[in-house]
Amino acid sequence: MSINDDRKILEGILAGDAKAIKAFYKKNFSYIKGFVLKNSGDEEDAEDIFQDALIVIYEKLKAGTLDIHSNVTVRTYLYAICKNMWRSRLRKKKKMIVDNEVLEENERIEKSISEEIEYKEREHLYRKYFLALSDSCKEILNLVFDGNNMKEIASITGYSDGYTRKKKFECKKALLEKLEKDPMFQELKITSVKD
Amino acid sequence: MERTQELFEKIELYLSKELPAQEVIAFEKEISMDSELELEVEKHRELQRVLSDTDTLLFKEKLHKISTEIKRESSEESTISYSLFWKIAASIVIVFGVGTLLWNTLNTSGDFSDLYAAYYEIYPVEDVIRGSTQVEKDVIMKSYAEGDYQKVVAILSDNTSFPLTEQFRLYLGNSYLNLGKEQEALEQFQQIGDDSKYSENANWYQALTYLKLKDAEKSSALLKDIVDFDGVYKEKAQELLAKLED
Repeated sequence: MSINDDRKILEGILAGDAKAIKAFYKKNFSYIKGFVLKNSGDEEDAEDIFQDALIVIYEKLKAGTLDIHSNVTVRTYLYAICKNMWRSRLRKKKKMIVDNEVLEENERIEKSISEEIEYKEREHLYRKYFLALSDSCKEILNLVFDGNNMKEIASITGYSDGYTRKKKFECKKALLEKLEKDPMFQELKITSVKD
Repeated sequence: MERTQELFEKIELYLSKELPAQEVIAFEKEISMDSELELEVEKHRELQRVLSDTDTLLFKEKLHKISTEIKRESSEESTISYSLFWKIAASIVIVFGVGTLLWNTLNTSGDFSDLYAAYYEIYPVEDVIRGSTQVEKDVIMKSYAEGDYQKVVAILSDNTSFPLTEQFRLYLGNSYLNLGKEQEALEQFQQIGDDSKYSENANWYQALTYLKLKDAEKSSALLKDIVDFDGVYKEKAQELLAKLED
């Protein structure tokens, strides 16, 4: 992969270019899937890891803090995040049996990045379980987190005020219950910063 | 600690700093004495923070969609290779005696059926607003979800007082489609107007119904509309169009 290709993929990720992201996804997912399957995981774990690592890159690009060394390609950087993330998740699942040899020299990431990955872990879970909610729950909660009040939500959705409030409660409760059932959620520390 | 609507609303008001000053003091005192409540408040704070970042949430949704597309494409590729295998096998049989005419007929209708089977997925059951006809709606949706399409049709077509919303027209149309009543299905899909939020779904199922009826021309015209609409069915419509034009 040339520097030019790397620049294009990074631009594609930042712009949310579905075509570019899909091509990159197709080219690289099977390697990560192989790695996770070989190390006590299943296909769903591999998808979670791969997508969450791409989110780490996306967020860094958005914040302007992505710092990839000149001798490392985007692909290697992504693999490094995936592998470190999987090691950390396995440790939480109390199945720390990842072969140390699986990390190439250029895949050993800096401590600061590994801490950052750890810090973001709960966020990935919130998003994962949010997306698994029913469409109507996602619609209501999206409107809530977008800053709309109950009256505005009721008028957008056509629900009554009382039903909107009840539905919002049920959706949030369902989301929290799903999260809490995930063993990894319990292992992770709260990352929220108090105002 | 029991999770109640009242508690959630209090936490939300507290986090958005809309709780009256007096109540804030009392609530903070309560939090400091109850670690479970403290944890609950932190979870709400975190939930609010993470899910308010809509850019990242949309990006995650996009990745999820891409992954689903890739999986579907790879399963289609294997279906196509499988179907290709049988076509080759069939053509060998034909070479040995059945006749070209019969083969051409089978081949064309087989293509449409294969495409229909590859692209048709039942319209999913969604939540509905609770109301006076809720019991009846529950029965319809339960029957639909369980694949009891006869019952869905029986209730919806016999009951003229039932408010047949566009969402229920999609259920009814899909039920007809699964019962082999394509014309009746079309009638339902066609009654969903272009300005409806379900118009793209209606066009998609109409296109598939025409495909099932082997009317490639009408199916293609609808698929082109779907591509122009640029919604969730766009990519599927493009793929299907390309296969129909092959």
